[in-house]
Amino acid sequence: MYPLTKLYAREMYRQKLIYVFFACFFTASFFYAFFISTPQMEEMLNINIGIVGRENFPEFMMRFYVGTVGILFNVFLLTLFICEEDRNKMIYQPLLHGESRSRIIQSKIYVSVSMSMIFVLLTAFINYTTAFMRWGCEIFELTAVTRTVTKYLLSCLYMSVITLGIIALCVCTRNAWKTIFFVIIYMLIDSFIYSSNILFLQKIWVGYYLNLCTFSYEYQKMPLKETLPGIFVMVLYGFIFYRTSLCRTQKIDF
Amino acid sequence: MEKIISVQNLRKAYKKETAVENVCFELMPGNIMGLLGTNGAGKTTTLKMITNLCSKDKGKIVIDNVSLDSNPGLALSKVGAALDTPSFYQELTARENIECFAHLYKNIPNAQVMELLEYVGLKNQAEKKVKKFSLGMKQRLALARAMLGQPKLIILDEPANGLDPQGQINLYRLICNMAKEKNTTFIVSSHQLHDMEKFCTDILILDKGKSILQGKTEDILSETTNIVDCILEETKAAENVLSQCQGISLVSQKGNQFTIRLENICFDEFIRKLVVNHLHIRYISIRKNSLQDLFLKLTEGQNHVSIN
Repeated sequence: MYPLTKLYAREMYRQKLIYVFFACFFTASFFYAFFISTPQMEEMLNINIGIVGRENFPEFMMRFYVGTVGILFNVFLLTLFICEEDRNKMIYQPLLHGESRSRIIQSKIYVSVSMSMIFVLLTAFINYTTAFMRWGCEIFELTAVTRTVTKYLLSCLYMSVITLGIIALCVCTRNAWKTIFFVIIYMLIDSFIYSSNILFLQKIWVGYYLNLCTFSYEYQKMPLKETLPGIFVMVLYGFIFYRTSLCRTQKIDF
Repeated sequence: MEKIISVQNLRKAYKKETAVENVCFELMPGNIMGLLGTNGAGKTTTLKMITNLCSKDKGKIVIDNVSLDSNPGLALSKVGAALDTPSFYQELTARENIECFAHLYKNIPNAQVMELLEYVGLKNQAEKKVKKFSLGMKQRLALARAMLGQPKLIILDEPANGLDPQGQINLYRLICNMAKEKNTTFIVSSHQLHDMEKFCTDILILDKGKSILQGKTEDILSETTNIVDCILEETKAAENVLSQCQGISLVSQKGNQFTIRLENICFDEFIRKLVVNHLHIRYISIRKNSLQDLFLKLTEGQNHVSIN
């Protein structure tokens, strides 16, 4: 690992925001697992715990993180990690100590992408833990576990691509608020495209496949004919975002 | 002796505005160059181009015989820099901050980090968090960070900003010592003209991106003219006499207090002219043109009043 990557990794995991966020997420997951399944809450929230509970609970909770909360959390964290550092004139300091621009942005990307994947896996761990605390071994039904783990892995890929997109935005705008604004716009467009009938646009839209996975194929196995193009589109987007970040970084006048 | 840095025809424009135009200079080991200019004169842009933080439109920069264009990594490995306001990881201590950057080099033991902190007078504050540092302490810490890897050239952008007079003297003393003991070359941009005059071996003055004066400090100051500060009675009459007097130029006037540059006239002759014109001299003194006078003369073109 580059010393610079180590430096950035230390810097990232020193953020108290991460620990506060996951403490809140654990609490939310715990309360959902324990209180949502009471008959009164089931009736009040109009949900069927037979569907969202037990072995389906980790998948039910996944959509909260990957759909909105995780993206917003990532964008706040990454704007602190890139835009704020740029504003504080810290981002270019390694350039004055023999590092290249490519290495700086690559190190930032490695740390951010691995962080986004770790966070998805951490949410999986939290959700399985709270589900286990509530329902015990009932949650370990083989088909459901395989399906849920596959969906979490697909979410890992999706969150990595979103992270690369946020980094590209941070590098292009060099402004935290503009980046947050564009990410919110992305989320709005994402829901619009998923609910629309524009088939061509859906097929080339990065968020569409995750929506398929979490909504259309909720608690079901997503077929390979949808999964493979999804992976391809996500990888393609990821590559474009990665190249954009690299190219733009070369041209920045600090 | 080999040149440490050679800058040729440096140019940078932002959209329609030219920030730096045709800047050239060369420095030898142990030289300290003062980069002077008004705000927006192009000092920081020049320094950022040298450190590759900012692209250049034209020109050539060679650092210790390595071209910045062909091998930026190697060229910049010989440079240490502290630009803009000093920035650090606020939650870390001074030692941890320097160690973070020391890890980017291959062979810097932790003991050397403490040596650097001792050199800049921060050994006792090594375990203190940077967020509790004063600006002066941050400036010194930035200098310690710039010294990592024993660079041959150190670039400092307004390092005396925010320092108290004692802090400024200590900083300049530190720079002079490094230049003498380690033969390190410095480029220092500053507005502290009085101090720059004392410790810089070379001067480069920029105005609107262009180099308007450069050379060895002693040469620049030896070629300069004398300045007379005087208080004369009867302001109106004094103004008339001075405006008709050949070989002088008025630098400034505040009521009946005049500051005059003697261009082609000696002090005795000037006094004689005042006496002959029946001007009553309440106070008069002569001094050598300082760097500040020269700077004002060169950069205040529009405000400068010439009475020949």
